[in-house]
Amino acid sequence: MSLVDLRDVVKRYGPLTVLDGVSLSVDKGEIIAIIGRSGSGKSTLLRCVNGLEPIQGGAVTFAGTVVNDPATDLRKLRQQVGIVFQSFNLFPHLSVERNITLAPTVVKGMDRQAARELARTVLRKVGLEEKIDAYPDRLSGGQQQRVAIARSLAMSPQLMLFDEITSALDPELVGEVLKVLEEMARDGMTMMLVTHEMGFARKVASRVVFMHQGKVWEQGPAAETLAKPRTAELETFLSAVLH
Amino acid sequence: MIRELALIDVFYLIAAMRWTLALTVIAFAGGAVVGLSVALLRVSPAAPLRWLAMLYVHAVQGTPLLAWLFVFFFGLSIVGITVSPWIAAAAAYSIYAGAFLGEIWRGCLQSIPRTQWEAGASLGLSFAEQLRHVIIPQAVRVAIPPTVGFLVQLIKNTSLAAVIGFVELTREGQLTTATTFRPFSVYLIVAALYFALCFPLTWWSRRLERRLHVAR
Repeated sequence: MSLVDLRDVVKRYGPLTVLDGVSLSVDKGEIIAIIGRSGSGKSTLLRCVNGLEPIQGGAVTFAGTVVNDPATDLRKLRQQVGIVFQSFNLFPHLSVERNITLAPTVVKGMDRQAARELARTVLRKVGLEEKIDAYPDRLSGGQQQRVAIARSLAMSPQLMLFDEITSALDPELVGEVLKVLEEMARDGMTMMLVTHEMGFARKVASRVVFMHQGKVWEQGPAAETLAKPRTAELETFLSAVLH
Repeated sequence: MIRELALIDVFYLIAAMRWTLALTVIAFAGGAVVGLSVALLRVSPAAPLRWLAMLYVHAVQGTPLLAWLFVFFFGLSIVGITVSPWIAAAAAYSIYAGAFLGEIWRGCLQSIPRTQWEAGASLGLSFAEQLRHVIIPQAVRVAIPPTVGFLVQLIKNTSLAAVIGFVELTREGQLTTATTFRPFSVYLIVAALYFALCFPLTWWSRRLERRLHVAR
C-alpha cells in the first residue's frame, strides 16, 4: 500500500479551481519532485497532504488515514508528516533549541533535558549544532532553513514535505540546504518536494511530477522525464526554466 | 461657607488620587480578563463565537460608559438588587475596558502572520497550544504600546465614577471648588495631578514603541 494516496482531489478558491482532479500515489522511500509553473497548483497539492488546505472533492490518504475526513485527528497526522516552508517560518521569539523542542515537549510530552539532546541530534544532521542557543534573526537564510528542517525532523516524521524551500534563499546559500536534503534522501526518508531546482530534481528525485493547469500533466522517473518530456507543455516549461 | 484655598486642599486632592488609582486598577484588571476573552473569541475558528464577541464589542463601543455606570448602580437597585458602588464600578468598567482592550488585543493577535499559525499547526500543536506558545508571546510585544495608551484613557475616564458616589480626583476637585470658589486654581491642580499620573505612562509607552521598532 502506498504511504500517500491522492484520488481525484479538487481544490477551489471561490471560482478558481487550483487542483482539478489530481491523483497521485507515493510509496515509502520515494522522493517525488513536483515541478511546474507558478499557479499550477504544486504548493497547494503539497499542503493538502498534511491537511493545511481543506479540499472540495476527492480524497487524500496518508498511511491509511483519510486526511480530509473531518473526524481525522489532524494533530496526530501532522506529527508524522513534516513540512518545511519557503519562508522558513521559524518562531522568531524562541531560540533554535526551543524552536526544535517546542513540539516534542508540548505535543509529545518529552522532558526538557531529553528534548535538548534531541535538538542536538537533529541539529548535527543539518550541521548547525553550534547554533543551538542562537535566535533565528542571528542566522542566515540558509541556516534558518536548515533549522526549520531540523525542527521537522525532531518529530521523526514518516514523510517530509518541502515547499520551494530554496526559493527565498540567496543563490550561494541554496547548496547547503540541498545538501541536507540529499543526506535525508540517503537515509531513506520519503519526501515530496516542490522545487525549481531541476538539477537537484534530476539527481535526487526518484520520480518527477509535472503539474499543469491544476492537473498532473506528466510524471515518470526523474532523469528520463526531464530528458525526454512526452508532452509539449513539459517541454516548453523545461526549456523556459533551463535557460 | 467660602474659605481660602490652602495647602491642605492640595493634600486632599492628592489623597483623592488613591480612589482614581484604585478604580483604574480594578477597571484594568476586570477589563483585561474580559478583553483577553473577547480577543481570543475574535480569533477563534468558530464563526458564531467570533460574531458573539463582535456584537459585544460593537454594543459597548457604541454606548457611553456613563450609561453602564447608571445601569449597574441605579438600574439594578430599581429592580430590587442593591449593589455597592464598588461592584457597580467594577462591572461597568470591566465591560467598557473589556471591549476596547479586546479590540486592541485582537488586532495584535492578528498582526502575527498566518504562517506562524501554520508552522505551529504543522508540528501538531493544537489551536490553544499555537496561541499559548507561538502567537501570544509574539503578540504581547506588539500589544504593550497600545495597551498603555488605553490605560491612560482609562485613568482619565475613572472620573465618571463620581456620578455613583466616588470621591476620586475630579469629584474632590468639585468639592474643593464649592468651598473655596476657586475653580481655576483647583482644576489646574487637578489637571496637573492627572498629568503626573498619565505622562510617565505615555512616555514609557513611547519608549517601548521605539525599542520595538528597532528590534524589528
